[in-house]
Amino acid sequence: MHLTDEQLNEYLDNETTEHVEIESHLSTCDECAARLSALQTLFAEIESLPELTLSQDLAARLLTTPSLQLPRWLTLTVTLQAIAALIAIIFAIPFITQYLTPVLQTVYVPSLSDVLIEIQMYFVMWMQSIQSFQLPIISTEILTLPKEISPAMLSVSLLGIFIIWLIGNWWLLWKRPNPLT
Amino acid sequence: MAASTDRELIVRARRGDRNAFGELVTCYQTSVFNVCYRLLHERGEAEDLAQETFMRAYDRLHIFDLEREFGPWIRRIAANLCLNYLESRKLTAQLDEERDADDNARPEKQIEVKERSEHIRDALSSLPPHYRIVVELRHYQELSYDEIAAELNIPLSDVKSHLFRARKLLAEKLHASD
Repeated sequence: MHLTDEQLNEYLDNETTEHVEIESHLSTCDECAARLSALQTLFAEIESLPELTLSQDLAARLLTTPSLQLPRWLTLTVTLQAIAALIAIIFAIPFITQYLTPVLQTVYVPSLSDVLIEIQMYFVMWMQSIQSFQLPIISTEILTLPKEISPAMLSVSLLGIFIIWLIGNWWLLWKRPNPLT
Repeated sequence: MAASTDRELIVRARRGDRNAFGELVTCYQTSVFNVCYRLLHERGEAEDLAQETFMRAYDRLHIFDLEREFGPWIRRIAANLCLNYLESRKLTAQLDEERDADDNARPEKQIEVKERSEHIRDALSSLPPHYRIVVELRHYQELSYDEIAAELNIPLSDVKSHLFRARKLLAEKLHASD
């Protein structure tokens, strides 16, 4: 009974709990020892790849990118910035009010209730104008359709619509870049 | 634990010191680039992904555990980025498989004289992305099976099967190219 590929791989990866059994088998089985040796050679080959050097300095390239111009935490998300701005405004309002109070006393600034009352007034006016709204009266003669549509007229109309549709689509699709190229 | 100089640089970079981050980039850019190159096998793409790796790292510096090594951490970010990139390139993945089949069908192509390392890189790049990544994490980043499973969020059994299958394919390709 030979060792399986899995056992040999796990043994070389040092991921087995059967070290003693495997080593004991390897010492008596030339075939399994040869397979292990081949696998070891493969490991050595894979790990023999030399390190390559870069054609350019990434540090210089990175430090000139706009996203690294500011501390990253400042550019994390727009939402975070908006929340920070809102909090800053809330904290700033009392201080701004304190400095502006002497100025505001000489200037008329409508109160919130004044503004609300004005909005309400406009709303009422708008509602009243809707209530009294009437559609303009249009002469029925203009909308009268011909009593008879001849087959020739119908054919010409359909042909006209088809040509317009064709020209319209051609114009829309003409020279449009192919998204797959 | 992160080396004291690395740790100092990370702390300074967290405070917004770009030069400190630049020093970290200078220190780790070669190893990060090599992770990307082993997985992508295309220099331009590897350099772009290496840059992207450092930008991701910069974003995540605040969650980096200073008790850990910076090098393995950033190399794992690079590996994951490359895996995502490879998986997003469905067409390329199909081409890889076609090339794989093509090589088997025409062994005469494999007798071309190449540098041994180029043979290995070719063989690596012909593997499907999920095989390539386990080889990278096991052989170059020296992660255990459990660590690879956690890193890739896949079962341990998949780690083993991918790794063993990848090695078998590599052995076949390297042996056939001799």
